Amino acid sequence: MRLSSILTCMAGIGHKRSWRWRCPTLAALALLLACSGGCGGQAEPAGVVSVWAHAGRAVERNTLEQQVAEYNARSRTDRVKLTFIPEGSYNGQVQAAALAGDLPDVLEFDGPYLYTYVWQGRLRPLDALLPETLRDGLLPSIIAQGTYRGHLYSVGTFDSGLGLWGDRRALEQAGVRIPKGPADAWTSSEFDNVLAALAARDPDGAVLDLKLNYPDEWFTYAFSPLIESAGGDLIDRNAYRTAEGVLNGPAAVRAMRRIQGWFRSGYVDPNLDDAAFVQRRVALAWGGHWNYPRYHKALGNDLVLLPLPRFGPRMVTGEGSWSWGITRRCRRPEAAARFLRYLLQPDQVLAISEANGGVPATRAAIARSPLYGPHSPLRLFAEQLREGYAVPRPRTPAYPTISAAFAQAFRAVRNGVAPKRALDRAVQMIDRDIRDNHGYPDVAVTGGR
Amino acid sequence: MGRTQRGGALMRESRAAWLFCTPAALGLLIFIVVPFVLALAMSFTSLRLGSPLPLEWVGLRQYGRIFSDPAFLQALVNNLIFALTVVPVQTALALGLALLLNQRLRAMAVFRTLFFMPVVFPLSLVAVVWVLIYAPGPNGMFNAALSALTFGAWQARDFLHDAHLALPAIMLTSIWQGAGFQMVVLLAGLQAIPGELYEAARVDGAGPWQRFWHVTLPQLRNPLVFVVIVTSILSFRVFDQVRIMTHGGPHDASTTVIYEAVQAAFDRAQVARGAAMSVVFFLVVVLITLVQRRLLRQEREVA
Repeated sequence: MRLSSILTCMAGIGHKRSWRWRCPTLAALALLLACSGGCGGQAEPAGVVSVWAHAGRAVERNTLEQQVAEYNARSRTDRVKLTFIPEGSYNGQVQAAALAGDLPDVLEFDGPYLYTYVWQGRLRPLDALLPETLRDGLLPSIIAQGTYRGHLYSVGTFDSGLGLWGDRRALEQAGVRIPKGPADAWTSSEFDNVLAALAARDPDGAVLDLKLNYPDEWFTYAFSPLIESAGGDLIDRNAYRTAEGVLNGPAAVRAMRRIQGWFRSGYVDPNLDDAAFVQRRVALAWGGHWNYPRYHKALGNDLVLLPLPRFGPRMVTGEGSWSWGITRRCRRPEAAARFLRYLLQPDQVLAISEANGGVPATRAAIARSPLYGPHSPLRLFAEQLREGYAVPRPRTPAYPTISAAFAQAFRAVRNGVAPKRALDRAVQMIDRDIRDNHGYPDVAVTGGR
Repeated sequence: MGRTQRGGALMRESRAAWLFCTPAALGLLIFIVVPFVLALAMSFTSLRLGSPLPLEWVGLRQYGRIFSDPAFLQALVNNLIFALTVVPVQTALALGLALLLNQRLRAMAVFRTLFFMPVVFPLSLVAVVWVLIYAPGPNGMFNAALSALTFGAWQARDFLHDAHLALPAIMLTSIWQGAGFQMVVLLAGLQAIPGELYEAARVDGAGPWQRFWHVTLPQLRNPLVFVVIVTSILSFRVFDQVRIMTHGGPHDASTTVIYEAVQAAFDRAQVARGAAMSVVFFLVVVLITLVQRRLLRQEREVA
């Protein structure tokens, strides 16, 4: 009920904040004003490497700040200048900065946005900048996510793990088999039986937490693996030209129908308070590495980490997280690469993994990790990534649209829309986006930005 | 001689007037006129956020597409239903509250503050709280309250994921949040009504109902007109609640024009499509405002 918003809406804008991104002239004007005090990379002294990172949780931020301080103290030639950007509108801010030619030298971004940024000509390949021995030591999932059209563009210092958290006591009471590793995952019908057995002993029958309170990206990350396991996919990955027959093919529809069955049977807790699992309202929770500290504290030795169910011959899980790239407007890529090499040293990888619980990105660090080593509690996550159970999200600049379309379809299925109908609509949205962009052809990159 | 002096004074005055206008006019120009003209221009192109492909003029293609998009058409219908429900209900409620709070009672300031408080909370916060209030299952606050009121006859529903209840649930939240503002405007109007009018009415033998009908309402016409127009515009603008509470679902049952536009422009980078939706939205709001002003003015002339 603010008068300013009334004025804004009379202009047909609706969302005031939006104008910064939508209107290049205004963005330029704003920048002109902001820049009069001396700004951006162009005016930096020769030795400064500007770095943007997402402002995650405090522990994560502190660790990175500490790393940068240590690097600056050690390095004689370079000085890293770190800026944190709020996570909520991270991509929007990157796009605005890119439009204004004001991207930093080193940019952190959420993995699947890489392909959009490369297509837009924002990033430079890292192949020649990082030594082969270093690249060989990275998890295959990090290389897979960072590679686009034959070049490596990004490296992560940690990867994500996706799985099922279980309450051992409840599972044993229900008398169900507890899988030992990724090769041993429940089949889809076995999983349905597990849910039924658990529900029979549960007062309200809701025994599964799917993290429905999470934002949109979660749904693509967490549930597209089921479709892939069933034999479908988000898009045809041979040419990345269409999702027709893949995202709305029989396998994908079957997978979504099964998920809808869990909702219909009342197995799913809406998890509005994000506490369904820690309060032991449910015995199974879809989740990831970031849940471990809290879940371990709540359940102690009853906490068990399980692979996702498999909907086809092989279990498939998710991967990918925040990663680092070097922008095209960086004047001293070697200096930027030196900083990335430092972040990938085992000690530094372990430090960040300890801060956020993520899977360390290098084999050397995993071997030394108290969480991910051979007999450690989260080894399943490392195993999944090492042994090829994890599938990267589609490597195409169409990814933001694919993800938005899939999240919408997932919500529709949750609300009882026929899966085929929901997926058809997602396919239509994705295919139109690809057609509108002429199939995302390689566009000659004109340096500078 | 005198004439030139007067002319000079006039000139000086109008120059001062222009000077005083400038900041506001500049603001309007930069933040309203320029963006709108740009939005209009963008809506005829293929503009996408950050795309390296050359910009194309596509004529009316974006408009053709949004008018054949069932989600956008549903959004228009939803906005209309929303406005037709929220405007009368919220205005009536605000008027009722204003009348109640226009008494001389002890601690009235406390009551006024309490009723005004929802307006002070950010809409996004209100929406998050109401998501919890609408929690599904018999333990959800709203479900539990309805169950208690109906002596257990109420079957627990998942309000925000029910095709028939999602939009009404958002309406209720909006009314709860918005009524306080209208109430304050109407309260100010009520307090501006001279006491002599009521005295005179009493002398003429008018009862409380007649005093309300023949004194209060006519005297409140201007604040009421303001409240109705502003509420109509705001109810077309509804976005935050939709984004947080239902994501437009289930199956477009609660989507709105702004929600569709923001989704297109920022989740899918289709700026041109979002711009086209914004232009349509603007025209609808202008049309409604013009119609309302016309109707309300005519009434005034008759009276």
